[in-house]
Amino acid sequence: MIPEFTVSVGAPRVAGIDYPFGRPIGVPGDRAGQRAVLQAALEVLSVARAPGTVIQLPFRWPQSPREAGGEPPVPPPIVQLLRRKPWLVLRLLAHDIPEPRQPATTFTGVKR
Amino acid sequence: MTETLVGQQPTDSQELAKQVRSHPFVDGPTRKLVRSWIQHDPPPAQIPWTPLTKPLSRCRVALVSSAGIARHDQPPFDQDLERRDPWWSDQSWRPIPLDTSEADVAIYHLHIDPRFGHQDLDCVLPLRRLEELAADGLVGQVAATHYSFMGYILQPTELLSSTAPAIAAGMAEEAVDVAVLVPV
Repeated sequence: MIPEFTVSVGAPRVAGIDYPFGRPIGVPGDRAGQRAVLQAALEVLSVARAPGTVIQLPFRWPQSPREAGGEPPVPPPIVQLLRRKPWLVLRLLAHDIPEPRQPATTFTGVKR
Repeated sequence: MTETLVGQQPTDSQELAKQVRSHPFVDGPTRKLVRSWIQHDPPPAQIPWTPLTKPLSRCRVALVSSAGIARHDQPPFDQDLERRDPWWSDQSWRPIPLDTSEADVAIYHLHIDPRFGHQDLDCVLPLRRLEELAADGLVGQVAATHYSFMGYILQPTELLSSTAPAIAAGMAEEAVDVAVLVPV
């Protein structure tokens, strides 16, 4: 996770954790480890005294990045597009997003 | 809890971009991309701040996941939209009732491996862990409704105009005190 980016977009309190994508709370099945992470993240509420506070949680993933893996089964569409048209990387870096080709799907939400 | 207090972040985008350090699970191109976005995008005029006025042990807590979680009895997030137009994606949201488990949902996110959340929903949306914290008195109550959207969003137009207000309204309706946004 990248807490510097999270705070740059205006999150008031950020708990940073160096865990792999797809498993931010912890290892599947590791109840104690997951609980510790959630509890520590919630404790940031009591510690943070000003907007934009970032606290890096002390937890360490039990695997190396190579061992942890976690890439999506298929490269994401944007990655596939950039491989076909690498010049578009400049546009992505500049956050210059082209207009959508069609309106996005909207779900209004159904509450039980 | 030992902690490293990074502290209040600088409002200067250039300085903040410099602080994007090496994260072991974030590759170099992604780090470069994030630094570029921090520098290009204007910082928020003001970071919203509501002081915590009561202890966490008396707060009602709701979770929000960006993993694109939808129950089997809800419309799935539209992944074909992103496949057709990779710059854009489905910015809608789903309510996730507290009693939801991994058996009830699928994860619709093309930028992560969804099998971890499919195996154990708590590693992306820790509902059971939150209930345990409430049972032990560390958290006041757990909200009846939690939320998910799909976090690959390059231009958050609908997220800001529709999804976030709807989620906030739902939380207000249930008197939620604390919202925890869980990235993926």
